[in-house]
Amino acid sequence: MSTEHAHAEHDHPDDGRVHVHIATARFYWGIFGALVVLTLLTVKVSYYDFGSANILIALLIATMKAGLVATFFMHLRHDSLFNTLAFLAAFLFLGIFILLTYDDIGKRGQIDNAYGGVTDPRSGVSAPGGEPATSATQDSIEGDAPKGGAGEKKE
Amino acid sequence: MSNVIEPVPAPVPAAHDGHSEAHPDFLQHHFDTPAQQFHAAKLGMWVFIATEILMFGGLFCAYAIWRGMDPAIFDQAHHFLNKKMGASNTVVLLFSSLTAALAVRSAQLGKRNQTSVFLVITILCAFGFLVIKYFEYTHKFHLGLLPGHCFGHPWFSGAIQNGEEVGSCLRIHADAAAGSPEWVRAVDESGNMQLLPPRANMFFGIYFCMTGLHAIHVIVGMSILTWVLVKNINGKFSKEYFTPVDLGALYWHLVDLVWIYLFPLLYLVGKPE
Repeated sequence: MSTEHAHAEHDHPDDGRVHVHIATARFYWGIFGALVVLTLLTVKVSYYDFGSANILIALLIATMKAGLVATFFMHLRHDSLFNTLAFLAAFLFLGIFILLTYDDIGKRGQIDNAYGGVTDPRSGVSAPGGEPATSATQDSIEGDAPKGGAGEKKE
Repeated sequence: MSNVIEPVPAPVPAAHDGHSEAHPDFLQHHFDTPAQQFHAAKLGMWVFIATEILMFGGLFCAYAIWRGMDPAIFDQAHHFLNKKMGASNTVVLLFSSLTAALAVRSAQLGKRNQTSVFLVITILCAFGFLVIKYFEYTHKFHLGLLPGHCFGHPWFSGAIQNGEEVGSCLRIHADAAAGSPEWVRAVDESGNMQLLPPRANMFFGIYFCMTGLHAIHVIVGMSILTWVLVKNINGKFSKEYFTPVDLGALYWHLVDLVWIYLFPLLYLVGKPE
């Protein structure tokens, strides 16, 4: 058996038995406290408007929380490095998935005339598979909101 | 088995009591040592977690695309989600993750009763999460925000008249004769009247799909932890063998991880009022 899991502070004998790092209960409670503080923080900042940075701030805090859970609750800190690689590979492939989908969506028109245009956003040419554009779909839906909008009392 | 040549003769437990530890009951015959079996199980679990992330990834991708196409809808519609309930559920799940980690710690130390207590607390927290989720869902059903019911695609909801109330929300056509899409008027979580454009069903669709798939994972996690609890009560685990407790807890932490991202993306992102 390999001894790659041995730690500098207490080397494990290579006897084939399971040796794991056992953290103190107090340590786990500390991590939980940090997670709750970050949760309160992310709720608090959601009441302020930072424009397009809103989502970046929310994702940054969420990633810090996820990092704490994965590193300590899920024991990656004292686990085989290969498990961490398997975990992080999922995010790599998720990134590729989202980027390719973004690329695809950006390069073709919409095909549902109830929810927007059916033309290529740049050339104005009707998109393949879509129905021809009409005035009902070309006009911005926000442009002509029906009567009885926000703020009015409901009868 | 008869044609397999065993490289090492199996020890005779009765003759050498000291050697019986090398081939304990829990050690499958295709593993050399408990450590090898443990690390193989952990790697398998982490690969499974990676596939779970990719399964949720499809929905996260849909979220990213839809939000990018129409950020105003997400800004407006997210006011129909209750931040307090979402935050409470986050803390409940984080606490259950803590107790799951403590259950693994107790199992590592061989404290069987303590492990059971922590597992029971974890399962109860999971149930509490579902109860809060139930109240959130039923409120949205009552408002008629379930896609397909309130937000009918014009192709399928032609029978509904202009100004008709469905649930407690009002449906309005800008130009019913031209078959224009329906707008939905309802009161949000802050008590403000909102006029939701027809495309708002994109937000509620992704909300119900993401939280619904997550809720299924909560239920599966509860089942796994219950199975682990029963085995623990039956004394199947020890300091030497606690792999199912460890892997069950890993699954539960994954449920927590997904919610850590769902909560801000659905409840918090968007312009404050």
